[in-house]
Order: sequence, then structure tokens, then C-alpha cells
Amino acid sequence: MFTGLEFEPIDLPATAEALRTEVRAFVASELPEDYWPNSDFNEGHSPAFSRKLGERGWIGMTWPERFGGGERTFFERYVVTEELLAAGAPVSAHWIADRQSGPLLLSYGTEAQCRRYLPQIVRGECYFSIGMSEPNSGSDLASVRTRAERVADGWIVNGTKIWTTDAHRNHYIIALVRTEPPSDDRHAGLSQLLVDLHADGVTVRPIRNLAGGEDFNEVVFEDCFVPDEGLVGERGNGWTQVTSELGYERSGPERFLSAFRVLVEFVRAMGNDPSRDEAVLLGRLASHLMTLRRMSISVAGMLQQGGSPAVESALVKSLGNDFEKLLGELVRLQAPPGHPRLERCLRQTLLHSPSFTLRGGTREILRGVIARGLGLR
Amino acid sequence: MDRLIEDTAERIFADHVDKGVLDRAESGEFPNALWDVVRESGLHLVGSAQSGTEPVDLYGVLRIAGRHAVPLPLAEVLVANSLLDEAGFITIAADGVAPWARVADGVLTVDGEFSRRFETEPDTNLAGESRDRVVLVDAERVGLPDDLRERLALSRVALMAGCLERILAMAIDFATEREQFGRPISRFQAVQHNLAVLAGETAAARCACDGAVANVDSSGFVHHVAAAKARVGEAAGVAAEIVHQVHGAMGFTHEHSLHHFTRRLWAWRDEFGREGRWQETLGRRIAAGGADALWDFVVDPSPHISPSRLWS
Repeated sequence: MFTGLEFEPIDLPATAEALRTEVRAFVASELPEDYWPNSDFNEGHSPAFSRKLGERGWIGMTWPERFGGGERTFFERYVVTEELLAAGAPVSAHWIADRQSGPLLLSYGTEAQCRRYLPQIVRGECYFSIGMSEPNSGSDLASVRTRAERVADGWIVNGTKIWTTDAHRNHYIIALVRTEPPSDDRHAGLSQLLVDLHADGVTVRPIRNLAGGEDFNEVVFEDCFVPDEGLVGERGNGWTQVTSELGYERSGPERFLSAFRVLVEFVRAMGNDPSRDEAVLLGRLASHLMTLRRMSISVAGMLQQGGSPAVESALVKSLGNDFEKLLGELVRLQAPPGHPRLERCLRQTLLHSPSFTLRGGTREILRGVIARGLGLR
Repeated sequence: MDRLIEDTAERIFADHVDKGVLDRAESGEFPNALWDVVRESGLHLVGSAQSGTEPVDLYGVLRIAGRHAVPLPLAEVLVANSLLDEAGFITIAADGVAPWARVADGVLTVDGEFSRRFETEPDTNLAGESRDRVVLVDAERVGLPDDLRERLALSRVALMAGCLERILAMAIDFATEREQFGRPISRFQAVQHNLAVLAGETAAARCACDGAVANVDSSGFVHHVAAAKARVGEAAGVAAEIVHQVHGAMGFTHEHSLHHFTRRLWAWRDEFGREGRWQETLGRRIAAGGADALWDFVVDPSPHISPSRLWS
């Protein structure tokens, strides 16, 4: 009998728990007293904070020492990331490079690429953007039209990427491009190129979001030359690589903690003798949060064992994103009046909530991935 | 959990529980043959010191029993035998109601009374499972742990977690076989998405159950049970709704076996505290600690039983 997708329970090792204390002390000492925490990983951009995390060895934690990495376990990395998110620390600058660009280079990049980029990432000095979506290719990623033509010593890239978080202040983008004309096999002919965002022929235009922020962008490539050494992995293997990258993108605790600060402020507002309705709602949300966290740690265990938990990641992200949205909506109904911190958190979360079930794969795409994992597609 | 126990339970329940056994049990006929097989296998002692097994095995057997909707009061028998060091058919009464009291050798109450003499009157829960009303005669006081109600709530969590695994499998099988508009309904995206949600709730239920079982005998046990009963109860409602929608009118018939599982989910999520009761317990505990201790509560760094021992 098929009994569903398996999430084996995991012991976090003592080394990981010891790190928890260190991260808490670090965050308490590094952030100013008037710092406004936001548990959304996408908010809070601080190169200075990222460099300090780098000094502590908390970026590239699982990577090999010869590239500056810490050769630590995915559990230790898990604890560091969840503590930073729960504290609402400003982590967005290095987040993508640490979470997926670095691991992508480790899996598919050349020795030279790893030597060049990974140590900079580890130091918290080098930031990456994701070059997947295009104006006409959102969820249908295989339909990307940005093309790279082969020339002597490299490639000429033309096309447009969109929703590119922090492209205006990051250093590099790893773009999914078409290196062969479209064919019957939609997933063939795609490759990944690592492009300097400051190169000639790259224009970054900000896109204002509904919350008033300008952290995502349109990135236009016009006859942009990318040297041979910019090819990541094999020519034509882009689809496989991008799928593996998405596994990293979807697996972490940022997928259920975006609205965590709302819950913190809700507890503060209700005080230590809440009404029944307040206590019931808090208990309900906590029961979801505790369960999601167990599932996420289980996924870290799959990564630690060298697995590619694409379906399990999609499932935790999907449940987690629904929880993030539910949290704001339900707390809103019970929020006692007269608590400006809670109101500010609620407003911030509500304005960003449409993105929760879009970024990193929409709810619809994730459910499709899960259905495939169930053998239905 | 011990692999041999897991395999034994799965084999015995798969071989000896079918729709006929369930229908007869729900019409009031105790499944003697099934009980004999269980007793001969020693499964009725799992979790008790005399059998050399542990709480993880006890709740593991209950999860597998939930997969098969086993019509025996295994939760009560296993918990009672492990607490009293007994080896018979002891059921447990809560609020004057005990499963299959009319055929039991003894009745233990959650308030700490025990007797082999009692009067019973048959009754059932909404799943048609025996929930006899019982009055003890010549009861004696016995020492019990003060978290017995929590242990019984956890028994329902384990039963529901297993039952959810079963209905997910049934939904996938049905959707793959049933054809409408010229193709299996599993080919329709709307159906696939419902099944994806069902898989998510099933996986979450298992994780929530494992989390509470890992904390049996720990100081935070009550709150882990609260989280698990609340989360799994919620999953049960969502899942039962989806699995019935997938099965269409056929799943609404008495002839189809689906209702043996979904009615149990609806019954078990109510027994030993509905979601709201446990959500309140959990919420009050967290509120008492204050906002700045919330994350620490969620993290719970030291489960009592190593989670790696939960799976065989």
C-alpha cells in the first residue's frame, strides 16, 4: 500500500543545538536596539551584516573547506537559517547565493568557477540573482526565449529576465538561456550562464511592487558577451540543473516563517492571560508551525544523506506558504486593538502575502510536482 | 519502532480485517476470531514492560491499526496492559464510556479505579465503534500516571495518522481507476490538486504524531500531545472531505468501504478532546511564556525519545 510521502523524524545533533545559542547571542549583539525585525527572508538587505555572518562561518556552511566552506552538516545550516529568520535578521543580501547559487556551482560548476566565486560568497561579499522567469515565461519555465548564440570564446546573450530579486545591487546572475533552437523536446537545448550584472549589454530596471518596495527588477540582455567560462555545467543540461536548483530554493524554513513576527507580536498583544478565542487561535497556529518545522528538518536530513528531495520540498513549501497566508488572515480577525507593533507587522505581511504562494514556484506548480510524486502524472 | 512488530501488525490486520468483519463489529458483534489472532501474536501486550517493548511500539501498532480500521479497542487494551502490567482484555472508561466493556475482563477508569465487576449498556460512537456505558462495582483504587488522558488522546492521534495513510492510498487508487470523460479522473488537474492537498495533510499528520510520540514521558508531553491532537484533528477533517469528493456518490454508499475509515476519522478527532480544547491548552501555555519565548517553545531542543527510534 502506498502510504504517502515519507518524512523521517530527525534528531538535530548536539553540535547544531550548540550553534543555536551562538547565533542568538550574535544576533542580539549585532542588531541595533531600534532594529525592526521582519521574518521574511526577502526583506532586510545589509551587506555589513552578511559580511559579519561570513566572518562567523555561517555562509556556505556545508561547502568544502578548499572553497572556504565549513564542511558542516545540513542540520547545522538549518539551525543557523531558522534562528536568523525567527529573529528577523537582515539576511537577504547573501541569501540566494548561499541557498542555491553556491550549491549549483558545487554540483555542476568547474573547479575554476568554484575557486573564483565560492570563497567570495562565503565571506558574505558576493551576491547572486536567479535568472529564470521571463516576461512571457513564468511558471512555464521551459518556454524561456532568452538566447545565447555561440561565438568565438563565448556567447552573445539577448533577451529579458524578470522578477529578478536584488539584480540592482547583486553582483551576478545565473540565467537559464536557450542555446539551441526550440525542438519537440521542450526541455532540451537549455543551458545556464553565469553573467556579471555589471557587464556591458546588461540593463537592470526596477519594478515597484504593491507594497512600495523595489527589490525586484527586469534584467535586459542586449548583445551581452559572456565568456566561455560563464557556462555553468553542460551545454544543453540546463533543465536538469535548474530543477535541482529549485529543490534548494524550496526546501528551507523561509517557506513557512515569512509571517512569524506577526505571531510574536500577537502573543505580546494578548498578554499572559488571553481570551479563549485568542488562546485557541494561537494554539492552532502553533500546532501548524511545530509540524512544519519537523517536516523541514526532515528535508534537511534528506539533503544531508545526499538525496534530491524535490517532491518533499514542494510539499513542505506548499503547506508552509498556505500557513503563512492563513496566519496573517486569522490573527487579523482576533488582533486586540491598540497594539501598533502588531498592526505594523500585519500590514507588512498582508502587503507581501501575494508573493508567498508565487515566488519559488506557485502553489499550482507545487501541487503539480506533488501529484507527479504521487504517480498521478 | 521495532521492525518485527511493525511487520507483524501490518500482516495480521491486513489478513484478518475486511469489510465483513467491520460490518459485523459495527452491528454489535465482537470480532472474536480477530481478537484470538491478536492475542496469540502477543500484539495485545505491545508497550508493556513484560513484553520488552516501548511506547514507540505501542503507538506504532495503533497507527497501523488505524490503517486498517481494526474494530478492537486496541488503544485501551495496550495502554491498560502497559499501565497495570496485565495481559488480558482490559478496557478503559472515560466519562462513563468504554469501548467493548461488555466483553472485557476488566475496566480501568481514567480517574484511577479498576474492577473486574461492572454493569454495561451498549452504545456506539458516530463510526459505529462500541462505546459502552459502564458502571463499576466494587472498584479498587490503582495508581495511574496523571497524563493518562493525554496518552489516550495520543492513541487517537496515532489511529488517525494511520487512517489518513489508508484513505490517501484509496483516493489515489480510485482516481487512477475511475474513468470519466474518457480518461481516468486522476488526469484532471483539479483532482490532482485535491490529492496533493490530501498528501500534504497525511504527511503533516504523521510528522505531528511522531513529534508527540518522541515526547512520551517528557516534561512537555502535554503540549506535544496538544499540538498533535489539534493538527491531526484538523488534517482529518480536510482529508475526509477530499477523499469523499474524489470517490463521488459511490463513497457515500454503505456498500463501499470508505466510510469505515472516514467515519472513524470524524469520531477520533472528537474523542479525548476536540481540536479547540487542545488548541486552547497549547495557546495558554505559549501565552504564559510570553512573546519572546515563543520561538524557544516551538524549537523544543530536547525530545525525550530520540526521533530516530520512531521508525523501523
